[in-house]
Amino acid sequence: MQNTINDKTWEIGGKTLSSRLLIGSALYPSPANMEDAIKQSQAQIVTVALRRQSAGENAGGNFWNIIKDLNIHVLPNTAGCHSAKEAITTAHMAREVFDTNWIKLEVIGDQYNLQPDPFETLKAAEILIKEGFEVFPYTTDDLVVAKRLADVGCKIIMPWGSMIGSGKGLSNPDNLLAIRKQFPELQLIVDAGIGKPSHATQAMELGYDGILLNSAIALALDPVQMAEAFRYAIEAGRLGYEAGVMQERQFASPSTPTIGTPFWHQFD
Amino acid sequence: MIKVSVNGEIKELKENLNIKEMIEALDYKQKGFAVAVNTCFISIKSYETTIIKDGDTIDILAPVQGG
Repeated sequence: MQNTINDKTWEIGGKTLSSRLLIGSALYPSPANMEDAIKQSQAQIVTVALRRQSAGENAGGNFWNIIKDLNIHVLPNTAGCHSAKEAITTAHMAREVFDTNWIKLEVIGDQYNLQPDPFETLKAAEILIKEGFEVFPYTTDDLVVAKRLADVGCKIIMPWGSMIGSGKGLSNPDNLLAIRKQFPELQLIVDAGIGKPSHATQAMELGYDGILLNSAIALALDPVQMAEAFRYAIEAGRLGYEAGVMQERQFASPSTPTIGTPFWHQFD
Repeated sequence: MIKVSVNGEIKELKENLNIKEMIEALDYKQKGFAVAVNTCFISIKSYETTIIKDGDTIDILAPVQGG
């Protein structure tokens, strides 16, 4: 990897990676722009989806050829599913098409804010894990839901930062931190709601293992440059977390030595 | 003839076609898609043993961009 400030690797879903950015493939101005942005991000996981395709169309084939040529890991999603049954069927179809047991499990419970349905997500996760899938469940920042997902065997949990596509950042950093503290052994990815690089840095400083995002890069004025910005932001957040952030104080404390302060301040 | 829904469109097909024959009849020449019948996934290895029935709902899905 070139131009990387952090050369440490990590593991997720049985793969060893150097990038902690999981990037989406939707909403870019053009397929070429998508390809350039993904390359610039240096992400090693890209999310994809399945949709109906008519006879004679080959838009899906063209897209898939671009993704295959990137030679990075593919994470199919179950976006648009509203029940465990739909999500499980989609996962089975994705496994055949994309030749991977990875699945980003999304079961939507509310059409307005696209909040995941924890009950259907849990039901689907339990079945898919028994079937040998590596499940990446999209969930809220609810600690108990995370606990239930871990109980059924999820090794990866992906709480939202805020609503999908909102760009609002981390609505409840305290909740995200509670999940991190409770489950140090799980791979935790903030998925959804990230709007700008500093949001990603904040999540990484909480100790999250990675960031999954799409709109923040694809809808930027310059997606390719924003992809680079997120690459550095995520690396910076991780480095900061590993370095150990200082404790907050309730009082001021000068950083310049007080010994040797010039005489005109000695009696302040 | 039977009537089935393929990706939301009503199509007329000969009776007793299996999935492989249905795909040929619908003129799908591209590769890299997956099939579900009545919301149940049908793997490639089951194409020739799965017979399409009148009123079936068939989904044929291919890769697209996703977040």
